[in-house]
Formats: sequence, C-alpha cells, structure tokens
Amino acid sequence: MTTLEAVTERPAAASNFSEEAIGYLDTLYRGALRLTRDAVKAEDLVQDTYVRALRYQHSYQPGTNMKAWLFAIMRNLFWDRFKGGRPENISLDGDGEFALYDTLKDDTARPESDVLDKLAAGEVVNAVERLPELHREVVLLVDVEGFSYKDAAEVLGVPIGTVMSRLHRARQQLQKSLYDYAQESGIVHGRDS
Amino acid sequence: MNCGDCINQLDAYVDRELSDAELATVREHLDSCPPCEDTFQLRSDVKRLVRTCCGQEAAPSELRQKLREILF
Repeated sequence: MTTLEAVTERPAAASNFSEEAIGYLDTLYRGALRLTRDAVKAEDLVQDTYVRALRYQHSYQPGTNMKAWLFAIMRNLFWDRFKGGRPENISLDGDGEFALYDTLKDDTARPESDVLDKLAAGEVVNAVERLPELHREVVLLVDVEGFSYKDAAEVLGVPIGTVMSRLHRARQQLQKSLYDYAQESGIVHGRDS
Repeated sequence: MNCGDCINQLDAYVDRELSDAELATVREHLDSCPPCEDTFQLRSDVKRLVRTCCGQEAAPSELRQKLREILF
C-alpha cells in the first residue's frame, strides 16, 4: 500500500498525525531559528520538515516520541541543505569520550549566579547562536527542549557519551561567552582589575 | 566522593540523568562542599537561562496557516 492510499483509507489516523505534528510547530520553529540564525531560512526549514514528515508518516510509530522524530528530520535537513551533508565524520577538537573528564579547569572564567540575571535575553540567544553547530544542536535538544541524553543521542545519531561531551563543551563555551559579555558591558569587572 | 568526581557528574546531575543512588551521593557532597555547590548553582542557572531565553518565540501565523493547508 502506498502512503497516499494509507492516508485515504485512514483519514482519522492521518488527521491525528497532523494534529499532533502541528502541536510542535513553535518548538520546531525556535529550533530552526537557532540552527539557521535567519527567520526566512527557519521558516523554509520548518515547512520542508513538515512536508517530509507528511511524506514519511508511515515510518512514524504512534505512541513514540514525535517531537524527537520531527527534530531528527529537521536536523538532517539542516545539515544536508545548509552545511553540505550530515556531520557524522566531523570531529571537534576534544570531542571524545574523555573530554568530559577534564572538567576541573573549566571554572577559570565564569560569571557569578546573580550576574546572570542581569544579562539581556538577546545576549544569551547570541551566545547560543555563536556555538559551533554540533554544540548548538545538543544545547537546543537538552537545555531548551528538555530531551534526555538518550533521546538526544537518537536524534543526533551519536552515542550518549558524545552527547555528554558535546554538551559539556558547549556549556563551558556558553559560560565563557556570558562572562566575557558581562565584563564588556560592565556588569562584572575582570579579576585583574 | 571527592570534588573531582562530583564535578564530573554535575552535568548529569543538573540534567536529572543520574540514578537515585548516584543523585544522593552527589547531593551529599554538595551539601558539605560550598565550592562544588557554587559550581552546581552556576551550571543550573546557565541551563535555566538558556531554556528561558531560547524558548520564547512563536512561529509566525502565516507559517502556521501555510502548514495547516499542507497537513490537513
């Protein structure tokens, strides 16, 4: 049976699929904005994600994690379209399993907790958008969307250890960006001053 | 648990990825170690800030309408 026939014969199921899928529009759009850093590209990416989801809805198993399924489609489209292919073979400096364990030196530059609340929301978004894509996407999934490490690993097609090490690196970088911004904007003074 | 072990587990602690037993061990260390507690607080605050600041925008209504036409 083709997908089209399946949709025709099971309109209620198809409608349930569409209803559930459109419920994730805002969250997908935000993810697309962070990935593409461009509102027009984000809209195109989201639209193409839904077109592809509709085409492959037979491969979605009802009751499983549709949000993760949609994110995986969007993420793959993003890499194919904007980055010239998916990043399985790209390796970031220090992106190995053991990167997680060199953490004791990560607190040399950091804002205090109460300083964070004084930062502008736009600057936090900028800091996220300045992360390399491989780090940015894991922050999006885990920190913004609340994915478990396991679900994030499935979306990204990498082992859980890689999710953890990328996340750690991303957070180190974010922390440093926010600290630098706090210094530049006079919210906090450098330790040497 | 020493400080190094604690720091290595802080991300998973902040992300609620630890078992109950692991969580209790980290919590116990944090309760007795102000520097690690500070680090935990900072990581937790950065995560909260990112979630809040990056989780605001809604999709444009034209996009929603266009998708409704595609999906239904």
